[in-house]
Amino acid sequence: MNKLNYFIVVFFFSPFVFCQNDLLDEISKETSYKNTFEFPAFKAMKIVNNQSTKLAEKKDLYLYVAHRFGSIKGGLKTLFGLDYANTKIEILYGLLNNVQVGFSRESFKQTYNLHVKYGIKKQTENFPISIVGYNSINLDTSLDEVLYPNLDFKERYVYISQLLISRRFSERFSLQIAPSLVKHNFLTTQSKTDYNYILNSGGRIKISKRSSFNIDYSHHLNRLSNSTEKNVLSLGIDMETGGHVFQLLFSNTQASDEAGVLTSAEGDWLKGDIFFGFNILRVF
Amino acid sequence: MKARFILFFFFYVSLISAQKYATRSGQTSFIGSEETFEQIKAINKVSTAIVDSSNGNIAILLFVSAFKFEIALMEEHFNENYMESSKYPKATFVGNIQDFKYEELTNTENNYDIVGVLAIKGIERSVTINGRMQKTDQGISLKTNFIVLTEDYNIKIPKVVRNKISKTINIKAEYELIEKI
Repeated sequence: MNKLNYFIVVFFFSPFVFCQNDLLDEISKETSYKNTFEFPAFKAMKIVNNQSTKLAEKKDLYLYVAHRFGSIKGGLKTLFGLDYANTKIEILYGLLNNVQVGFSRESFKQTYNLHVKYGIKKQTENFPISIVGYNSINLDTSLDEVLYPNLDFKERYVYISQLLISRRFSERFSLQIAPSLVKHNFLTTQSKTDYNYILNSGGRIKISKRSSFNIDYSHHLNRLSNSTEKNVLSLGIDMETGGHVFQLLFSNTQASDEAGVLTSAEGDWLKGDIFFGFNILRVF
Repeated sequence: MKARFILFFFFYVSLISAQKYATRSGQTSFIGSEETFEQIKAINKVSTAIVDSSNGNIAILLFVSAFKFEIALMEEHFNENYMESSKYPKATFVGNIQDFKYEELTNTENNYDIVGVLAIKGIERSVTINGRMQKTDQGISLKTNFIVLTEDYNIKIPKVVRNKISKTINIKAEYELIEKI
Protein backbone atom coordinates (compact mmCIF):
# COMPACT_ATOMS: atom_id res chain seq x y z
CA MET A 1 0.00 0.00 0.00
CA ASN A 2 2.92 2.30 0.72
CA LYS A 3 4.03 1.81 -2.83
CA LEU A 4 0.64 2.80 -4.11
CA ASN A 5 0.64 5.94 -2.03
CA TYR A 6 4.00 6.76 -3.49
CA PHE A 7 2.63 6.47 -6.99
CA ILE A 8 -0.31 8.62 -6.17
CA VAL A 9 2.01 11.31 -4.90
CA VAL A 10 4.34 11.07 -7.87
CA PHE A 11 1.70 10.98 -10.58
CA PHE A 12 -0.84 13.38 -9.26
CA PHE A 13 1.27 16.00 -7.61
CA SER A 14 4.56 16.12 -9.43
CA PRO A 15 3.06 16.83 -12.85
CA PHE A 16 1.13 19.63 -11.30
CA VAL A 17 4.25 21.15 -9.79
CA PHE A 18 6.45 20.73 -12.83
CA CYS A 19 3.85 21.66 -15.39
CA GLN A 20 4.23 25.39 -14.87
CA ASN A 21 7.95 25.32 -15.54
CA ASP A 22 7.41 22.92 -18.42
CA LEU A 23 5.24 25.57 -19.99
CA LEU A 24 8.06 28.09 -19.64
CA ASP A 25 10.51 25.64 -21.22
CA GLU A 26 8.05 25.08 -24.02
CA ILE A 27 7.75 28.75 -24.95
CA SER A 28 11.48 29.34 -24.42
CA LYS A 29 12.15 26.85 -27.20
CA GLU A 30 9.60 28.37 -29.51
CA THR A 31 10.27 32.08 -29.14
CA SER A 32 11.55 33.54 -32.38
CA TYR A 33 12.91 36.79 -30.96
CA LYS A 34 16.33 37.84 -32.13
CA ASN A 35 18.07 40.50 -30.13
CA THR A 36 18.52 43.58 -32.29
CA PHE A 37 19.59 45.97 -29.57
CA GLU A 38 23.30 46.70 -29.61
CA PHE A 39 25.00 48.84 -27.05
CA PRO A 40 26.94 51.72 -28.58
CA ALA A 41 30.71 51.91 -28.16
CA PHE A 42 30.56 55.46 -26.79
CA LYS A 43 28.04 57.50 -24.83
CA ALA A 44 28.37 60.76 -26.71
CA MET A 45 28.95 61.83 -30.31
CA LYS A 46 32.48 62.77 -29.32
CA ILE A 47 35.01 60.65 -27.48
CA VAL A 48 36.71 63.73 -26.07
CA ASN A 49 37.62 66.12 -28.88
CA ASN A 50 37.17 63.73 -31.78
CA GLN A 51 34.01 62.32 -33.29
CA SER A 52 32.92 58.87 -32.10
CA THR A 53 30.82 56.29 -33.94
CA LYS A 54 27.75 57.29 -31.91
CA LEU A 55 24.93 58.75 -34.03
CA ALA A 56 21.72 60.55 -33.15
CA GLU A 57 18.84 58.15 -33.70
CA LYS A 58 16.12 59.07 -36.14
CA LYS A 59 14.09 62.10 -35.01
CA ASP A 60 16.21 62.66 -31.90
CA LEU A 61 17.29 66.27 -31.46
CA TYR A 62 20.46 67.05 -29.51
CA LEU A 63 21.96 70.27 -28.23
CA TYR A 64 25.75 70.16 -27.87
CA VAL A 65 27.34 72.99 -25.94
CA ALA A 66 31.12 73.05 -25.69
CA HIS A 67 33.36 75.36 -23.68
CA ARG A 68 37.13 75.46 -23.93
CA PHE A 69 38.85 77.77 -21.49
CA GLY A 70 42.23 79.42 -21.93
CA SER A 71 45.52 77.72 -21.14
CA ILE A 72 45.79 76.70 -17.49
CA LYS A 73 49.33 78.15 -17.75
CA GLY A 74 47.72 81.55 -17.15
CA GLY A 75 47.63 80.58 -13.48
CA LEU A 76 45.72 82.60 -10.93
CA LYS A 77 45.84 85.75 -13.06
CA THR A 78 43.35 84.25 -15.53
CA LEU A 79 42.02 81.75 -12.98
CA PHE A 80 43.67 78.96 -14.94
CA GLY A 81 42.28 80.16 -18.25
CA LEU A 82 38.70 80.68 -17.17
CA ASP A 83 38.85 84.27 -18.45
CA TYR A 84 39.20 83.20 -22.05
CA ALA A 85 36.45 80.88 -23.13
CA ASN A 86 35.82 79.44 -26.55
CA THR A 87 32.17 78.52 -26.88
CA LYS A 88 30.55 76.26 -29.42
CA ILE A 89 26.83 75.68 -29.76
CA GLU A 90 25.69 72.85 -31.96
CA ILE A 91 22.36 71.37 -32.95
CA LEU A 92 22.28 67.72 -34.01
CA TYR A 93 19.35 65.91 -35.56
CA GLY A 94 18.75 62.31 -36.57
CA LEU A 95 17.40 62.92 -40.06
CA LEU A 96 17.06 59.27 -41.09
CA ASN A 97 17.98 55.93 -39.64
CA ASN A 98 21.77 56.12 -39.25
CA VAL A 99 22.03 59.64 -40.70
CA GLN A 100 22.74 62.61 -38.48
CA VAL A 101 23.10 66.23 -39.54
CA GLY A 102 24.40 69.10 -37.48
CA PHE A 103 25.05 72.81 -37.51
CA SER A 104 27.29 74.77 -35.19
CA ARG A 105 28.92 78.10 -34.46
CA GLU A 106 32.15 78.36 -32.53
CA SER A 107 34.10 81.35 -31.20
CA PHE A 108 37.40 79.85 -32.32
CA LYS A 109 38.03 81.45 -35.76
CA GLN A 110 34.35 82.45 -35.65
CA THR A 111 33.59 79.18 -37.35
CA TYR A 112 30.30 77.97 -38.75
CA ASN A 113 30.14 74.26 -39.36
CA LEU A 114 27.75 71.99 -41.19
CA HIS A 115 28.16 68.25 -40.93
CA VAL A 116 26.65 64.96 -41.95
CA LYS A 117 27.45 61.71 -40.17
CA TYR A 118 26.21 58.38 -41.45
CA GLY A 119 26.35 54.80 -40.27
CA ILE A 120 27.83 52.39 -42.78
CA LYS A 121 27.95 49.24 -40.67
CA LYS A 122 26.96 48.49 -37.10
CA GLN A 123 28.73 46.17 -34.72
CA THR A 124 26.51 43.14 -34.10
CA GLU A 125 26.96 39.57 -32.97
CA ASN A 126 27.90 38.77 -36.55
CA PHE A 127 30.04 41.79 -37.40
CA PRO A 128 32.97 42.88 -35.21
CA ILE A 129 33.15 46.64 -35.80
CA SER A 130 31.08 49.74 -36.36
CA ILE A 131 31.92 51.93 -39.36
CA VAL A 132 30.67 55.49 -39.61
CA GLY A 133 31.45 58.22 -42.14
CA TYR A 134 31.77 61.89 -41.14
CA ASN A 135 31.96 64.83 -43.54
CA SER A 136 31.81 68.45 -42.62
CA ILE A 137 32.52 71.87 -43.97
CA ASN A 138 33.77 74.82 -41.93
CA LEU A 139 33.29 78.47 -42.77
CA ASP A 140 36.02 80.59 -41.18
CA THR A 141 34.48 84.05 -40.81
CA SER A 142 37.42 85.41 -38.79
CA LEU A 143 39.60 85.95 -41.87
CA ASP A 144 39.75 89.74 -42.14
CA GLU A 145 39.16 91.29 -45.56
CA VAL A 146 41.32 94.24 -44.57
CA LEU A 147 44.23 91.87 -44.04
CA TYR A 148 43.40 89.69 -47.04
CA PRO A 149 41.77 91.98 -49.62
CA ASN A 150 41.89 89.41 -52.41
CA LEU A 151 40.23 86.70 -50.35
CA ASP A 152 37.67 84.75 -52.32
CA PHE A 153 34.63 83.66 -50.25
CA LYS A 154 35.18 80.00 -50.97
CA GLU A 155 38.68 80.30 -49.51
CA ARG A 156 37.03 80.51 -46.11
CA TYR A 157 35.95 76.89 -46.43
CA VAL A 158 37.67 73.98 -44.71
CA TYR A 159 36.63 70.44 -45.61
CA ILE A 160 36.85 67.51 -43.21
CA SER A 161 36.37 63.82 -44.04
CA GLN A 162 36.73 61.04 -41.53
CA LEU A 163 36.13 57.32 -41.47
CA LEU A 164 35.34 56.25 -37.92
CA ILE A 165 35.91 52.60 -37.06
CA SER A 166 35.12 51.42 -33.54
CA ARG A 167 34.87 48.20 -31.65
CA ARG A 168 33.16 47.59 -28.36
CA PHE A 169 35.35 44.89 -26.86
CA SER A 170 33.27 44.52 -23.73
CA GLU A 171 30.57 46.35 -21.87
CA ARG A 172 33.26 48.59 -20.37
CA PHE A 173 35.96 48.87 -22.99
CA SER A 174 35.84 50.34 -26.53
CA LEU A 175 38.46 51.49 -29.02
CA GLN A 176 38.30 53.52 -32.18
CA ILE A 177 40.58 54.51 -35.05
CA ALA A 178 39.75 57.18 -37.59
CA PRO A 179 41.78 58.05 -40.69
CA SER A 180 41.01 61.70 -41.43
CA LEU A 181 41.59 64.32 -44.08
CA VAL A 182 41.41 68.07 -43.51
CA LYS A 183 41.62 70.32 -46.58
CA HIS A 184 42.19 74.06 -46.18
CA ASN A 185 41.37 76.37 -49.08
CA PHE A 186 43.41 79.20 -47.62
CA LEU A 187 46.63 79.08 -45.62
CA THR A 188 47.41 81.90 -43.18
CA THR A 189 51.05 80.89 -42.78
CA GLN A 190 53.72 79.16 -44.85
CA SER A 191 54.00 76.50 -42.19
CA LYS A 192 50.53 75.11 -42.89
CA THR A 193 49.68 72.60 -45.56
CA ASP A 194 46.41 72.43 -47.48
CA TYR A 195 45.91 68.65 -47.46
CA ASN A 196 46.33 67.28 -43.92
CA TYR A 197 46.36 63.51 -43.40
CA ILE A 198 45.74 62.58 -39.80
CA LEU A 199 45.25 59.33 -37.93
CA ASN A 200 42.99 59.56 -34.90
CA SER A 201 42.67 56.98 -32.20
CA GLY A 202 40.61 56.90 -29.06
CA GLY A 203 39.03 54.74 -26.43
CA ARG A 204 36.99 54.56 -23.29
CA ILE A 205 36.85 52.56 -20.10
CA LYS A 206 33.68 52.72 -18.05
CA ILE A 207 34.36 53.46 -14.41
CA SER A 208 30.78 52.91 -13.35
CA LYS A 209 27.43 52.33 -15.03
CA ARG A 210 27.07 56.00 -15.83
CA SER A 211 30.60 57.31 -16.15
CA SER A 212 33.67 56.54 -18.17
CA PHE A 213 37.25 57.64 -18.67
CA ASN A 214 37.99 58.63 -22.27
CA ILE A 215 41.12 59.39 -24.22
CA ASP A 216 41.82 60.40 -27.78
CA TYR A 217 44.98 61.15 -29.73
CA SER A 218 45.48 62.59 -33.21
CA HIS A 219 48.65 61.97 -35.14
CA HIS A 220 49.41 64.24 -38.10
CA LEU A 221 51.07 62.30 -40.92
CA ASN A 222 52.35 65.04 -43.25
CA ARG A 223 53.06 68.10 -41.14
CA LEU A 224 55.63 70.52 -42.53
CA SER A 225 58.96 70.65 -40.67
CA ASN A 226 58.59 74.35 -39.81
CA SER A 227 55.12 73.88 -38.33
CA THR A 228 54.46 74.83 -34.73
CA GLU A 229 51.34 72.68 -34.52
CA LYS A 230 51.24 69.76 -32.17
CA ASN A 231 49.64 66.35 -32.16
CA VAL A 232 46.59 66.43 -29.93
CA LEU A 233 46.11 64.39 -26.78
CA SER A 234 42.83 64.79 -24.92
CA LEU A 235 41.72 63.16 -21.68
CA GLY A 236 38.15 63.30 -20.47
CA ILE A 237 35.47 61.92 -18.22
CA ASP A 238 31.91 61.23 -19.37
CA MET A 239 29.10 61.50 -16.85
CA GLU A 240 25.63 60.57 -17.96
CA THR A 241 22.49 61.59 -16.11
CA GLY A 242 19.27 60.66 -17.86
CA GLY A 243 18.95 62.92 -20.90
CA HIS A 244 22.33 64.64 -20.39
CA VAL A 245 25.92 63.67 -20.94
CA PHE A 246 28.59 65.86 -19.34
CA GLN A 247 32.12 65.57 -20.65
CA LEU A 248 34.93 67.18 -18.65
CA LEU A 249 38.26 67.28 -20.42
CA PHE A 250 41.84 68.43 -20.65
CA SER A 251 43.51 68.84 -24.03
CA ASN A 252 46.37 70.67 -25.69
CA THR A 253 44.01 72.36 -28.12
CA GLN A 254 41.51 75.10 -27.38
CA ALA A 255 39.42 74.40 -30.49
CA SER A 256 36.46 72.07 -30.41
CA ASP A 257 35.67 71.58 -34.11
CA GLU A 258 37.50 68.89 -36.07
CA ALA A 259 39.53 71.18 -38.34
CA GLY A 260 40.60 73.28 -35.37
CA VAL A 261 41.46 70.29 -33.21
CA LEU A 262 43.33 68.45 -35.92
CA THR A 263 45.27 71.30 -37.55
CA SER A 264 45.50 74.19 -35.07
CA ALA A 265 46.72 72.72 -31.78
CA GLU A 266 49.49 74.79 -30.26
CA GLY A 267 49.44 73.69 -26.64
CA ASP A 268 51.95 71.32 -25.11
CA TRP A 269 51.25 68.80 -22.37
CA LEU A 270 54.90 68.65 -21.31
CA LYS A 271 55.01 72.42 -20.73
CA GLY A 272 51.69 72.45 -18.89
CA ASP A 273 50.21 74.47 -21.74
CA ILE A 274 46.85 72.71 -21.73
CA PHE A 275 43.21 73.70 -21.77
CA PHE A 276 40.34 72.72 -19.57
CA GLY A 277 36.90 72.42 -21.10
CA PHE A 278 33.60 70.62 -21.08
CA ASN A 279 30.87 69.44 -23.41
CA ILE A 280 27.23 69.22 -22.42
CA LEU A 281 25.00 67.04 -24.52
CA ARG A 282 21.25 67.21 -24.11
CA VAL A 283 18.63 65.17 -25.93
CA PHE A 284 15.14 66.45 -26.69
CA MET B 1 -1.75 -3.79 -9.93
CA LYS B 2 -5.15 -2.84 -11.13
CA ALA B 3 -5.05 0.35 -9.12
CA ARG B 4 -1.70 1.24 -10.62
CA PHE B 5 -3.04 0.68 -14.11
CA ILE B 6 -5.95 2.96 -13.41
CA LEU B 7 -3.61 5.64 -12.13
CA PHE B 8 -1.46 5.38 -15.21
CA PHE B 9 -4.52 5.54 -17.36
CA PHE B 10 -5.85 8.68 -15.73
CA PHE B 11 -2.50 10.32 -15.76
CA TYR B 12 -1.94 9.83 -19.47
CA VAL B 13 -5.47 10.73 -20.39
CA SER B 14 -5.10 13.97 -18.51
CA LEU B 15 -1.88 14.70 -20.42
CA ILE B 16 -3.41 14.03 -23.80
CA SER B 17 -6.43 16.16 -23.12
CA ALA B 18 -4.30 19.09 -21.95
CA GLN B 19 -5.19 21.86 -24.37
CA LYS B 20 -2.84 24.82 -24.64
CA TYR B 21 -3.38 28.35 -25.81
CA ALA B 22 -0.41 30.51 -26.76
CA THR B 23 0.84 33.69 -28.43
CA ARG B 24 4.18 34.97 -29.63
CA SER B 25 3.05 38.50 -30.31
CA GLY B 26 1.66 39.53 -26.94
CA GLN B 27 1.84 43.21 -26.10
CA THR B 28 3.40 44.23 -22.81
CA SER B 29 3.87 47.90 -22.08
CA PHE B 30 4.84 50.03 -19.14
CA ILE B 31 4.80 53.60 -17.95
CA GLY B 32 7.54 54.47 -15.49
CA SER B 33 7.50 58.22 -15.29
CA GLU B 34 6.27 60.71 -12.79
CA GLU B 35 3.86 63.30 -14.18
CA THR B 36 6.31 65.24 -16.33
CA PHE B 37 6.49 66.43 -19.89
CA GLU B 38 8.84 63.60 -20.73
CA GLN B 39 6.94 60.36 -20.54
CA ILE B 40 8.90 57.19 -19.96
CA LYS B 41 7.01 54.43 -21.69
CA ALA B 42 7.81 51.46 -23.84
CA ILE B 43 6.10 48.57 -25.52
CA ASN B 44 7.15 44.99 -26.16
CA LYS B 45 5.15 43.48 -29.01
CA VAL B 46 6.80 40.08 -29.06
CA SER B 47 5.93 38.74 -25.62
CA THR B 48 5.33 35.01 -25.51
CA ALA B 49 2.60 33.52 -23.32
CA ILE B 50 1.02 30.12 -22.87
CA VAL B 51 -1.96 28.87 -20.88
CA ASP B 52 -2.82 25.26 -20.18
CA SER B 53 -6.60 25.24 -20.21
CA SER B 54 -6.83 21.92 -18.37
CA ASN B 55 -5.39 23.29 -15.13
CA GLY B 56 -4.99 27.05 -15.56
CA ASN B 57 -1.21 26.97 -15.52
CA ILE B 58 0.38 29.93 -17.24
CA ALA B 59 3.86 30.98 -18.36
CA ILE B 60 4.97 34.29 -19.88
CA LEU B 61 8.37 35.06 -21.34
CA LEU B 62 9.65 38.31 -22.73
CA PHE B 63 12.96 39.77 -23.79
CA VAL B 64 13.89 42.99 -22.05
CA SER B 65 15.69 44.39 -25.10
CA ALA B 66 12.48 44.06 -27.14
CA PHE B 67 10.93 47.02 -25.30
CA LYS B 68 10.81 49.90 -27.76
CA PHE B 69 10.86 53.53 -26.65
CA GLU B 70 10.07 56.69 -28.57
CA ILE B 71 13.41 58.21 -27.60
CA ALA B 72 16.34 55.99 -28.51
CA LEU B 73 18.53 57.33 -25.72
CA MET B 74 15.93 56.22 -23.18
CA GLU B 75 16.02 52.76 -24.66
CA GLU B 76 19.78 52.73 -24.34
CA HIS B 77 19.67 53.79 -20.71
CA PHE B 78 16.87 51.31 -19.96
CA ASN B 79 18.97 48.44 -21.31
CA GLU B 80 22.35 49.59 -20.12
CA ASN B 81 21.74 51.19 -16.74
CA TYR B 82 18.43 50.06 -15.33
CA MET B 83 17.67 46.57 -16.65
CA GLU B 84 21.20 45.44 -17.61
CA SER B 85 19.68 43.45 -20.43
CA SER B 86 22.95 41.95 -21.61
CA LYS B 87 23.28 40.29 -18.21
CA TYR B 88 19.58 39.58 -17.67
CA PRO B 89 17.99 39.24 -21.11
CA LYS B 90 14.66 37.72 -20.02
CA ALA B 91 11.78 38.48 -17.73
CA THR B 92 9.41 35.63 -16.91
CA PHE B 93 6.21 34.86 -15.09
CA VAL B 94 5.19 31.35 -14.13
CA GLY B 95 1.99 30.68 -12.25
CA ASN B 96 -1.55 29.45 -12.04
CA ILE B 97 -4.85 31.10 -12.78
CA GLN B 98 -6.91 30.40 -9.68
CA ASP B 99 -10.28 28.66 -10.14
CA PHE B 100 -9.80 28.63 -13.89
CA LYS B 101 -12.19 26.45 -15.85
CA TYR B 102 -12.09 26.80 -19.58
CA GLU B 103 -15.75 25.83 -19.86
CA GLU B 104 -16.74 28.78 -17.69
CA LEU B 105 -15.15 31.40 -19.94
CA THR B 106 -17.65 33.64 -21.71
CA ASN B 107 -17.62 36.43 -24.25
CA THR B 108 -17.45 39.00 -21.48
CA GLU B 109 -14.47 39.64 -19.24
CA ASN B 110 -14.15 37.74 -16.00
CA ASN B 111 -11.70 38.54 -13.26
CA TYR B 112 -9.21 35.95 -12.05
CA ASP B 113 -6.41 35.96 -9.53
CA ILE B 114 -3.19 34.76 -11.07
CA VAL B 115 -0.72 33.52 -8.48
CA GLY B 116 2.86 32.91 -9.45
CA VAL B 117 6.48 33.96 -9.56
CA LEU B 118 7.60 37.05 -11.46
CA ALA B 119 11.31 37.03 -12.32
CA ILE B 120 13.02 40.25 -13.41
CA LYS B 121 16.77 40.85 -13.41
CA GLY B 122 17.27 37.38 -12.01
CA ILE B 123 15.22 38.14 -8.90
CA GLU B 124 12.18 35.95 -8.28
CA ARG B 125 9.21 37.21 -6.31
CA SER B 126 5.85 35.69 -5.55
CA VAL B 127 3.04 37.87 -6.79
CA THR B 128 -0.72 37.80 -7.22
CA ILE B 129 -1.96 39.60 -10.30
CA ASN B 130 -5.51 40.35 -11.32
CA GLY B 131 -6.24 39.12 -14.84
CA ARG B 132 -9.25 39.70 -17.05
CA MET B 133 -10.05 36.81 -19.35
CA GLN B 134 -12.65 36.09 -21.96
CA LYS B 135 -13.34 33.71 -24.79
CA THR B 136 -12.55 34.95 -28.30
CA ASP B 137 -13.13 33.55 -31.79
CA GLN B 138 -9.72 32.00 -31.89
CA GLY B 139 -9.06 31.25 -28.26
CA ILE B 140 -8.63 33.22 -25.07
CA SER B 141 -7.95 36.87 -24.41
CA LEU B 142 -5.95 37.74 -21.31
CA LYS B 143 -5.51 41.30 -20.10
CA THR B 144 -3.88 42.59 -16.96
CA ASN B 145 -2.64 45.73 -15.28
CA PHE B 146 -0.34 45.59 -12.32
CA ILE B 147 2.36 47.48 -10.51
CA VAL B 148 5.98 46.53 -10.00
CA LEU B 149 8.20 48.27 -7.48
CA THR B 150 11.66 49.02 -8.82
CA GLU B 151 13.27 48.34 -5.44
CA ASP B 152 11.87 44.78 -5.46
CA TYR B 153 13.98 43.95 -8.49
CA ASN B 154 17.17 45.83 -7.72
CA ILE B 155 16.48 48.57 -10.27
CA LYS B 156 18.37 51.53 -8.91
CA ILE B 157 17.27 55.06 -9.74
CA PRO B 158 19.92 57.73 -9.27
CA LYS B 159 19.05 60.83 -7.27
CA VAL B 160 19.21 63.24 -10.20
CA VAL B 161 16.36 61.53 -12.05
CA ARG B 162 14.29 60.58 -9.01
CA ASN B 163 11.69 63.21 -9.82
CA LYS B 164 11.35 61.86 -13.36
CA ILE B 165 11.37 58.13 -12.89
CA SER B 166 8.68 56.62 -10.72
CA LYS B 167 9.44 53.94 -8.13
CA THR B 168 6.23 52.20 -9.10
CA ILE B 169 6.07 50.96 -12.67
CA ASN B 170 2.64 50.46 -14.22
CA ILE B 171 2.60 47.39 -16.41
CA LYS B 172 -0.11 46.59 -18.89
CA ALA B 173 -0.35 43.35 -20.86
CA GLU B 174 -2.71 42.16 -23.56
CA TYR B 175 -2.36 38.66 -24.90
CA GLU B 176 -4.56 37.09 -27.56
CA LEU B 177 -3.97 33.41 -26.99
CA ILE B 178 -4.67 31.05 -29.84
CA GLU B 179 -5.32 27.35 -29.58
CA LYS B 180 -2.09 25.46 -29.98
CA ILE B 181 -2.08 22.39 -32.18
